[in-house]
Amino acid sequence: MLNDLQLNSILEDFDIAYWKVNLFSKKLSWSDHFSALVGKPGTNEPFEYFLKEILHPDYRYDFRLYFDKLTSQNEPFSLELKLKLNNGKYRWFECRNLKNKDHSNRETAVLLFVNIHQAKRDQYTIEENFFYYHETAEMTSTGGWYVDTLHKNIYWDNVTKKIVNCPIDYQPAYEERLKFYAPEHHQRVLSSFEKCEKYGIPFKIELKMLSLHNKEFWVRATGKPVYNEEQEIIGIRGVYQDIDENKTNELNLQNSLDIIATQNSRLFNFAHVVSHHLRSHSSNLSLIVELLKEAKTEADKLELLPNVVDIADNLDTAISQLNEIVNKQSLLSKNRRIIKFEDALSGVMASTSSLINRENAKIVAEFNALEEISYISEYLESILLNLITNAIKYKHPGRKPVIYIQTYIENDKEYLEISDNGMGIDLDQYGDKMFGMYKTFHSNPEAKGIGLFITKNQVETLGGSISVTSTVDVGTTFKIKF
Amino acid sequence: MGQKVELACIIDDDKIYVNLVRKIIEIKKLSENLLIFKNGKEALDYFQLIMGNMTEDKLPDIIFLDLNMPVMDGWEFLSEFIKIKNNFEKKITLYVVSSSIDPRDLERAKSFNMVTDYLIKPIELKKFEKIFEKNNAA
Repeated sequence: MLNDLQLNSILEDFDIAYWKVNLFSKKLSWSDHFSALVGKPGTNEPFEYFLKEILHPDYRYDFRLYFDKLTSQNEPFSLELKLKLNNGKYRWFECRNLKNKDHSNRETAVLLFVNIHQAKRDQYTIEENFFYYHETAEMTSTGGWYVDTLHKNIYWDNVTKKIVNCPIDYQPAYEERLKFYAPEHHQRVLSSFEKCEKYGIPFKIELKMLSLHNKEFWVRATGKPVYNEEQEIIGIRGVYQDIDENKTNELNLQNSLDIIATQNSRLFNFAHVVSHHLRSHSSNLSLIVELLKEAKTEADKLELLPNVVDIADNLDTAISQLNEIVNKQSLLSKNRRIIKFEDALSGVMASTSSLINRENAKIVAEFNALEEISYISEYLESILLNLITNAIKYKHPGRKPVIYIQTYIENDKEYLEISDNGMGIDLDQYGDKMFGMYKTFHSNPEAKGIGLFITKNQVETLGGSISVTSTVDVGTTFKIKF
Repeated sequence: MGQKVELACIIDDDKIYVNLVRKIIEIKKLSENLLIFKNGKEALDYFQLIMGNMTEDKLPDIIFLDLNMPVMDGWEFLSEFIKIKNNFEKKITLYVVSSSIDPRDLERAKSFNMVTDYLIKPIELKKFEKIFEKNNAA
């Protein structure tokens, strides 16, 4: 049998302190270890002192209640509570009475105070971690999954089920595992899972998945191999993170970026062209000024005058051309509306009737396959005007100009084609410059070199594209994809 | 002074500029004769004709080549001219003359060995004289 001293030392080793309570006198005495933990009671009333100074206020009511029941009815109790230690910090203890097997010894009760702080804290940490894990998973839409490659089973957690938009009791079938991925990504999924299953290579890929109701969405799928004790791969564990919003934003952003980059390079080109074009006139002016200084006689000076007039005219034309370009570019704010090709064409033909009549040009239009389009009417008319006048301007010297215009739909896309029987152009030589500014390919005095530049800009501004095919001496076809 | 420039050549589509340069050359008596082409194609045709006839005295001593021209621009002319240039014994000095201040044009012009310099319009009278003097000295 252990004596009190030995018992005391064992209890101390386990960080267990105790009270002895005389059930008759209600007097209590603290074990040395208890005093060592919380300090000696400052008054003769250790119980009141304990309640007031040592016990955390939250547990005062309960503790008094249990203690009274213990002393009056010898009712056992167990309570987790917080005590303020010497160092002023609260620690978790479990307080319970030592069971009294020996009924003879009924005048004394023993209350044990077992330090459970570490256990309590671990429990809190686990609860806290679980809480954070759960919240994080919910907030970031990250769902967990496990593929048992041995038994061909798939397990999804609740967040994954939520992402895939299927009921909580849904059980994905191993054989149907591909149906949750967009068909174009099947190959990528298969190869990632296969490499992980066979060689243990982890993966992190962005995929388009399909919900239970076939709605597409983007996820980032991360997977890692799971090994058994023999270091054999028995499954793949991973997460799906729903990144649909991000991915959609990213794609939109990339799209805007591309548009901005194109516009920027167009602007850059425009700025250089402008500076170049205006500079060529101003540099001529400087030359004249130098020559004027050199001129010895009045007659020499007067001789230079017509050049100044020419420069002034050229400068004026150049500026009004540039102005025209800027005006056409700034129509962007206008709204699209449904326009009949027939109406747009008759408008253009009315305004070019003198040119058409003078050249005896024949215009044939075929709009049955696609009668109307949602477009900016000024743009459509300007496009038609530029291409028609172009065709007439560069007619074949030996033929009357014929222009064939047709619209059609191909692969859900709307097209406009304008073909002529004109002089044609060598595309191997000029193809890439065709739509540049101030590029003229014929020594035609009427060539200004801005028409096709404007046309291309208008088509591209509304998200379309323009291409050209041509054969010298046969004719040219412009094809616009809206 | 070395011998005077016999024949200068301007390839440029800007009529006013060509007129003014012609005047400068006349006033300053910089060259005996002047060849003028309004684009690269016309100039190239001329040089190919000379190559066929081997009439080297019709070759210019100095060429002023514009870049931005219709039909055949200065760049195309350069890449064509390189191919036939070695058929001529006569040394031909070639200047690119443009109102473009785009650094990319400048770089590209310098990449051609046969381009002596890139001159930005307007060229001052004094500069013109210097260029012709330098050519004489050579």
